[in-house]
Amino acid sequence: MNRALIAILAAIVLLPLVVRPAIASEIWIFAIFGLGVNLLLGYTGLLSFGQGTFFGSAAYVAGWLLKHYAINVFFALGIGVGVGALSALVVGYLCVQRSGLYFIMLTFALNQLFYFVAYQWTSVTGGEDGMPGIPRPAILGIDFGNPVAYYVFVSVLFLASLWIMRRIVESPLGKILQAIRENEVRAEAVGYDTARFKLAAFVIGGAFSGLAGVLYAMLFGIVPLEAIGFVTSGNVVFATLIGGSGSLYGPVIGSFVFIWLSESVSTLWARWPLLLGVAFVIVVLFFRGGVVEAWSRFAAWRERKWRSSKQTG
Amino acid sequence: MSAFLGQVLNGIATGMLYALMGLGLSLVTGVLNIPNFAHGALFAIGAYLLASAANLMGNFWLALVIAPLGAALLGLAIEYLGIRRLYAAGHDYQLLFTFGLALILSEAIILVWGPVGYSHLPPPILRGGVDLGFTFYPKYRLFVMVAAGLLVLGTWLFLEKTRYGAIMRAGIENKEMVSLLGIDVHKLFTAAFALGAYLAGIAGALTAPIRGLSPGMGVDMLGIAFVVVALGGLGNLLGAIAAGLLIGVAQAIVAAHWTEASSVVIYAVMAAVLLVRPQGLFGIR
Repeated sequence: MNRALIAILAAIVLLPLVVRPAIASEIWIFAIFGLGVNLLLGYTGLLSFGQGTFFGSAAYVAGWLLKHYAINVFFALGIGVGVGALSALVVGYLCVQRSGLYFIMLTFALNQLFYFVAYQWTSVTGGEDGMPGIPRPAILGIDFGNPVAYYVFVSVLFLASLWIMRRIVESPLGKILQAIRENEVRAEAVGYDTARFKLAAFVIGGAFSGLAGVLYAMLFGIVPLEAIGFVTSGNVVFATLIGGSGSLYGPVIGSFVFIWLSESVSTLWARWPLLLGVAFVIVVLFFRGGVVEAWSRFAAWRERKWRSSKQTG
Repeated sequence: MSAFLGQVLNGIATGMLYALMGLGLSLVTGVLNIPNFAHGALFAIGAYLLASAANLMGNFWLALVIAPLGAALLGLAIEYLGIRRLYAAGHDYQLLFTFGLALILSEAIILVWGPVGYSHLPPPILRGGVDLGFTFYPKYRLFVMVAAGLLVLGTWLFLEKTRYGAIMRAGIENKEMVSLLGIDVHKLFTAAFALGAYLAGIAGALTAPIRGLSPGMGVDMLGIAFVVVALGGLGNLLGAIAAGLLIGVAQAIVAAHWTEASSVVIYAVMAAVLLVRPQGLFGIR
């Protein structure tokens, strides 16, 4: 067991003592979402600005089934993973054939396609009002209406997701994806069908997004229209980047920082996206390495100060 | 039949505006090699500046000159103060920066002009319609068609026939070579961004009397501009016009029969084209 894992376990235990269980759950749900994004961004070098598509589609479909057909929670999770993967397969098929800036723009444009479908299909999605009334059915006699019970459930699923993602990035598939990130032309020359592997990464990322989407829908009991919108897609990219996309744990740190900040500030001011925009700009201009780098810079500064005070003193 | 022709005319008018948006985005994206998520916000700024300037001065034509210049000035500042420092950074950080700017600008619009959308009338001389024989058509839309067409033509003449245009096209092809030839690429980048912002701003200004103003108009247009570039190809003027007209006309025809699908159809057309031609309309990567 390594230090990072111990820190995460400690955080899972301590978090509900500091923030409301709903916020604590949201942090780990968003971390699952970020793990999928990071497989694309950090490990494959694919910048997708359309992850809200899979998050939202899964939330709507599973939410609808939970609401109208009272399906089992595990079935709902399975549906979410399936819908996330399937929608990612469709979107990914259209996107992976183009690279670079085209890829980014296409993921955004197809995100808009799904957004407008959800926006107009009011009889199912509720349009701008969202899809309310999504239940959190009990399983094995455990009442998930209790926020702490649901938090434990989310935490277990997060740990499982983290373990699976770790197995994926350390597997041969993960190594090929990293080879594509480092040098796509060379990976292709060695004989790998890079488009197919990129699509595989996209589908796996979609599955993680879908799982997060269903958990999100059950957490708040509603699927807001924004869940499938570009803001969701942007937020998860931002969270992954501030955590540092270079490591497996980056998005976990990022979602921790992002959800905590957004939940504490968004309740104070309706124009909170303005502050978010300012935060994006400041991070990009001054703290490009994310929280991890900001911390090491701070540590180096403290060290220098400590040394100089020792020399003068 | 006449109703159908009217819809096609509507499609051409909005299609030209889409082409204008795509053209500006294509210039910025092609020359600077960055994902520009602020392009839609500059469109919205152009629209709001036009409405305010026209109301303030009581002169639509003066406002139509000032509003896009305001957007261009803003673009100039954005490039000079922000994007300039990010050319060495990855697309991820460039995206985050321009997306942050888009959030700031659209929230600033809400703070300054309020969250509720409103309409803006065309100038008195362009109100009402003219009889085209087969249909009675709004004058303002005809004006937009001509104005946007002239702007596209003007941009084309600039890019193809002037020295600065040639430098810009060279910048899209090969930046290293341009800088080796002794041209200040920083100036080139600033100019390209300002020109792109100008085109977005004037597209917004022309759109305001047709669709009205709302804080969300920028994001909607951003997605459309991406579609135009994805289908038409970066730096491809003809591609931008073809893609803009294609989705504009498709949207107008579908919207006449099924209003709810009017936004979806743009992206559905894009997906359909990409299924058949993954490389876009003209096969430029």
